[in-house]
Amino acid sequence: MEKDLVLEIGTEELPPSCIREGVAGLKVLLEKNIKSNRIDFGGVSVFHSPRRITAYIKDLGLLQRSEEKVVTGPPKNISIGPDGKPNQAALGFAKSLGIDASDLEEIEIKGKGTYLGKKIVRKGKKTTEVLPGILKDTILSVTFKKQMYWGDYGTRFIRPIRWLLVLFGNEIIEFDIENVSSGRFTYGHRTLNKSPIKIEDAKDYFRILEKEGNAIVDPRKRSDMIRTQIKRIEEEEWKGKSRSFVDGKLLEEVVDLVEMPNVLVGEFPPDFLYIPADILMEAIQYHQKYFPVLDNRGKVTTDFLIVQNGRSDNGDIKKGNERVLKARLSDAAFFYEQDKKHDFSHWEKKLEGVIFYFGLGNMKDKQDRLKKISLYIAGKLEGNIKTPGSTVKEDLEKASTMCKCDLVTNLVVEFPELQGIVGREYSKERGHSDSVANAVFEHYLPRFAGDDLPGTDTGRILSLADKIDTITGMFMVGNIPSGSEDPFALRRKASGIVRSMLEGNYDIDLKDLIIFNMKLYSDSFKLKKSTGEDNVEKIFDFIIARQRFLLEGQNKRMDILDAVLGSGVRSITDIDMRFKAIGEFILKNDIKSIVWPMSRSQNIIIKKKFTHIDEGLFIEEHEKKLFKSLKDVLDGKDALILNKDYPELLREMERFGKVIDVFFDKVLVMDKDPLVKANRINILKEVVDYYLNMADFSKLILEGNQIKQ
Amino acid sequence: MNFQDIIFNLQKYWAGKGCLIKQPLDLEKGAGTFNPDTFLRCLGPEPWKVAYVEPSRRPTDGRYGENPFRSQFYYQFQVLLKPSPDDVIDLYLGSLESLGIDIPGHDIRFVEDDWASPTIGAAGLGWEVWADGMEITQFTYFQQMGGLALKPVSAEITYGLERIAMYLQDKESFWELAWNDSIAYKDIHLESEKQWSKYNFEIADINMLLDLFDKFEKEFNSTIKNGLVFVACEYVLKCSHVFNLLDAREAISVAQRTSYIARVRKQAKALCQAYIDQREELGFPLLKKTGN
Repeated sequence: MEKDLVLEIGTEELPPSCIREGVAGLKVLLEKNIKSNRIDFGGVSVFHSPRRITAYIKDLGLLQRSEEKVVTGPPKNISIGPDGKPNQAALGFAKSLGIDASDLEEIEIKGKGTYLGKKIVRKGKKTTEVLPGILKDTILSVTFKKQMYWGDYGTRFIRPIRWLLVLFGNEIIEFDIENVSSGRFTYGHRTLNKSPIKIEDAKDYFRILEKEGNAIVDPRKRSDMIRTQIKRIEEEEWKGKSRSFVDGKLLEEVVDLVEMPNVLVGEFPPDFLYIPADILMEAIQYHQKYFPVLDNRGKVTTDFLIVQNGRSDNGDIKKGNERVLKARLSDAAFFYEQDKKHDFSHWEKKLEGVIFYFGLGNMKDKQDRLKKISLYIAGKLEGNIKTPGSTVKEDLEKASTMCKCDLVTNLVVEFPELQGIVGREYSKERGHSDSVANAVFEHYLPRFAGDDLPGTDTGRILSLADKIDTITGMFMVGNIPSGSEDPFALRRKASGIVRSMLEGNYDIDLKDLIIFNMKLYSDSFKLKKSTGEDNVEKIFDFIIARQRFLLEGQNKRMDILDAVLGSGVRSITDIDMRFKAIGEFILKNDIKSIVWPMSRSQNIIIKKKFTHIDEGLFIEEHEKKLFKSLKDVLDGKDALILNKDYPELLREMERFGKVIDVFFDKVLVMDKDPLVKANRINILKEVVDYYLNMADFSKLILEGNQIKQ
Repeated sequence: MNFQDIIFNLQKYWAGKGCLIKQPLDLEKGAGTFNPDTFLRCLGPEPWKVAYVEPSRRPTDGRYGENPFRSQFYYQFQVLLKPSPDDVIDLYLGSLESLGIDIPGHDIRFVEDDWASPTIGAAGLGWEVWADGMEITQFTYFQQMGGLALKPVSAEITYGLERIAMYLQDKESFWELAWNDSIAYKDIHLESEKQWSKYNFEIADINMLLDLFDKFEKEFNSTIKNGLVFVACEYVLKCSHVFNLLDAREAISVAQRTSYIARVRKQAKALCQAYIDQREELGFPLLKKTGN
């Protein structure tokens, strides 16, 4: 037997910025707590709208499942006397369970013997008895990114709780949170419906809330309604001549700001159309949360879409919104006009007044460093990138002296979201090429998880420079992320570096780059913290940790990465290529043919001292053969590494492994003559070093004959 | 509805809800929050309900009277309800109705907007209230003041009077608002707005201001040391306003800026703690007043 349960937490208007995450957490907690209370259920769904968070549990059992538990006591041989009567140990145990010693049972425990014990059956209670506790605990333990106190109460929640509707079938589950008692009443849309609405049965909840309350609690449904209404407008009112620009993130926020969406079309005066499209669109979307409308050729039109929280408009709402947008656009136009009076040299000067970080100078200093770093990177990549290197360098020289300038423009101060876009548009307006202008924009990418990466070499290099410079600087003043603390989003920047390096296939020595960057800092500023080798390692490891994270996300084998890193390779792309080559080798070949010879050699040379190999000391034929093979592979390896032909290098290592195997079979390394012995150890040292050129294969996890997947 | 009628209506409405109707503080300040009737009274356990008009100054917002709704001087109508009542949003919507707004016919929206003022160590959660897309009110549940956690929590409702008047009078600019039947907002404020904008951005003597900041800070230290909490409070406000003027003159670099903010915050923190200590010594007298 089961019934549905609806739990509605009536709140004041919920913040879109963290509601979705919180509601997802509520679902997880509910499932966990109902399960651990041994109640069967069909499924938990969660919903939210501005004034409510709702959980709907389908087919919730009417009874807790009974629980059988065996409690084990003392061993039989010490608790039952020779007379067969229970002694003190048995009596005490029975007492602790509240039963008579004669009710104790014998329990066999495999491998241990016979014990006294008791099978205890906990009979399931009625669900209605345990639900109040479960639900209240669950509500109070959901965490939201933003939580608050209200009134004189001690409870914290995302917003003040104003009512609780809790129905199990048609039965109220009674509990209180502060001054609010649960019941069967809900409230609808805040202004369309003021009086309480009675719900008889959980099953009626959604239908009655929508019909009588004018509130739709399912965000997917509200989203669909908005899209459907927009589609109708596009087809009927615009007859396919225009289309709205619906940004997914903004749509999500708009959905979370309305309980009953109604799309209206507004219009602004054409005088504003001269503002560059991206700036105009941002001004329409940002703050007022309207959707811009484009014509067939992709040009911004004077139409815009308003999503009203209600059912209809007699014209006032449209007019009001039009007036507000007009004022916003006049503001944007005002700042745009103000900015027109200036050039980049003016803003560059102003950047001197914007601090980058305490002890790390101002933003002009940063821009100057970016120029040097990006030219350094371009220099290292010469011949390695598609765009002619000279063009990239020229573009970088220009883009790097402009990239931070838009921070001090009036428009960005007013609309911070336009950062990057304003830089791009203003550099175009001031006669710079598209590729320079794009690099100014792209150097901020990726701005958030899942954002685009820079698409051009110039943008990518400038973006790498910006990110490495921030990470290096922050490490140099000791601002190192720990745990969940990462106020400067250094992890995101590091993962941007990894992704961009891979995307551009940039083979760059990351440690050299860090050292170059650190020197730029230490030449200009007195930094107390370490500028030494260990900081280079820390920064390198921090960035490579993001590469590890990326691979982990793809369920890749971390032991392969550890092996590759054991070679001391310092380029993200190189690490990736080696990683892939070993992975593929493992699929087709037997990696043991490399791992074993290397590990055997490694075990022998541990804690030994080395000198030079003396050919005059060779006695056995197979040590001579090994030495010859070693010379061959050492001769061949440089070309393979230079060409990054790692598959061939691995094959060569495999072939070489066979020679080593034979050597170990036929030759005793630990010869009586210490000189011969030392000489053999010297050969093995070179063998190990040879393998380390590719990876430290001893880090690979081999399980029995199988490699652990 | 004329500008002055909006004020009358709000005063009457909130008086009817048990608020003390007070008058503005006779000092420059950036917002009604700085008035000790909010700044200090939100601290500690004593209940408090108050409403007042607060003429406010934000030097950097000056636009020489050329922007339709941005100016360095404007009026707020401030309501502080402590503890925040359970029906506080309905009370607020009631106040809009008292201004003649037909609520079901409009789109009144509570849009997430948390508020923080690092200068006075204050933080709160709440909304900006939109009427058909126009921001007309800032609604905040105070969580912290002077760096101190607050219990009970106060609800602060700050009406932007000019915005509401634009909405009610269907005007596109502050300056066109009717103050009464014959005098417009511009007749009273446009000339002074131009002059103050010029002063704030171009004329104000930077050295004098830097000097004043140091002197006011010194005076704060001496008054707080002598237990003169209400006097000290005014010196915090003076420092804060001088800082805002320096900001408008672009006289302080970003690095200095942070250190000036830290200096004001330090004062605010000491002030708030001193105020609570003093009220405690007095036995929190307002706790005994019923009906407040």
